[in-house]
Amino acid sequence: MHEWSLAEAVINSLIRLAEEKSITAFDEVEITYGEIMELEVLVFRTAFEELSKGTPLEGTRLILKEEKAMFKCNACGAEWDLETVEKILAEEFSVIEEPLGTRESPLHFLPHLAPALLKCPSCGSRDFDLASGKGLYISRVVTRT
Amino acid sequence: MNKLLDIFLEEAKRRLSRARNIVAVTAGKGGVGKSLVSLCLALTLAERGNSVGLLDLDIHGSSIPLMLGLKEEVRADKKGFRPVRKYGINIMSIGLLTRDSPVLVKGEDKMDLITSLAALTNWDNLDYLVIDLPPGTGDETLWTIRVIKSLESAGALIVTTPSILSYSVVRKSLKLLIDEGIRILGLVENMSFFKCGEEEIRPFGYGTGENLAREFKIRLLARLPIEPMVEKAIADGYPPHLVSKELRDAFFGLAEAIVRFMEST
Repeated sequence: MHEWSLAEAVINSLIRLAEEKSITAFDEVEITYGEIMELEVLVFRTAFEELSKGTPLEGTRLILKEEKAMFKCNACGAEWDLETVEKILAEEFSVIEEPLGTRESPLHFLPHLAPALLKCPSCGSRDFDLASGKGLYISRVVTRT
Repeated sequence: MNKLLDIFLEEAKRRLSRARNIVAVTAGKGGVGKSLVSLCLALTLAERGNSVGLLDLDIHGSSIPLMLGLKEEVRADKKGFRPVRKYGINIMSIGLLTRDSPVLVKGEDKMDLITSLAALTNWDNLDYLVIDLPPGTGDETLWTIRVIKSLESAGALIVTTPSILSYSVVRKSLKLLIDEGIRILGLVENMSFFKCGEEEIRPFGYGTGENLAREFKIRLLARLPIEPMVEKAIADGYPPHLVSKELRDAFFGLAEAIVRFMEST
């Protein structure tokens, strides 16, 4: 359900941009998000549509682009992807998502926590970088003034 | 990464600005008792009837969950993380998510981590948000300065000990905060003294709190006694300021001074 708080953050940022730049409407908004966030696209779209009602974002064409997550170990040079992460992710760390009570890894909410929650699958070091696919940002907007 | 807008930083500012008052507890120096002061101040403000949040920004050495013996898992809903509630205060900390795992986060990633945590935590309506900062003038302090300098309702509470080492480091921290335009709420001198009969013994020296207050024209809001039972309270996970009347009174005095300061400005 973090899709709702993410959608809220995106909408608030764009409303502020609209106020600053005298934008009356957004024809198109492109969001790029990291694969590691495991964004439920349908839930995000629903949240965006719901929360943007009555704002310059109502009716905007929303484009969502996923960026692949890649990890690189600084100790041994190994590289790995999200599929490997899901196999090694410790279950002891979790966030309980309401209202269903399902368990999610904190990694999906806070990708930068990766070195606290994972080790390199090759050498066991925590000194690795999440080289791509960790953030969420507005990559493009088409506006009207 | 070409960020058209820093979504999370703006959202973090928006969410934090909903707190009526923000108190950032800092020192520059490690081991002076920032987390103890943050926690006990938050608990005392709550005892006075305020709605209080405690945001632990000590990413590498988070101690608030340990001090309260928190074992609860963090829950999240549509509005983001729900702070964990204990003894009438609402707590959010990276330590709640990582337990006893070492947190190795570097440079810009740390800034992004703090920003995301603040942007995704839903505090509801707070009268006071107390922010517990780590030692030093690194990313966590810089992040807090960036976020709170634009908020009229925010200020920094500085913790020192009587030690000459603390004087020198805390002085640098004060200079930084003042240079950056952060409102200084006042000073707390921790580990100031203990009572032996009627006599006040000051084993770590004299005058650091007074000297810093005089030099920077700020108020010394509290001198906290050394209470050995605080350690037991922390080990057992109960409110540390309740271990003696003297400590409880000192924190009530501090909370009173903070409330008066905030309401008068």
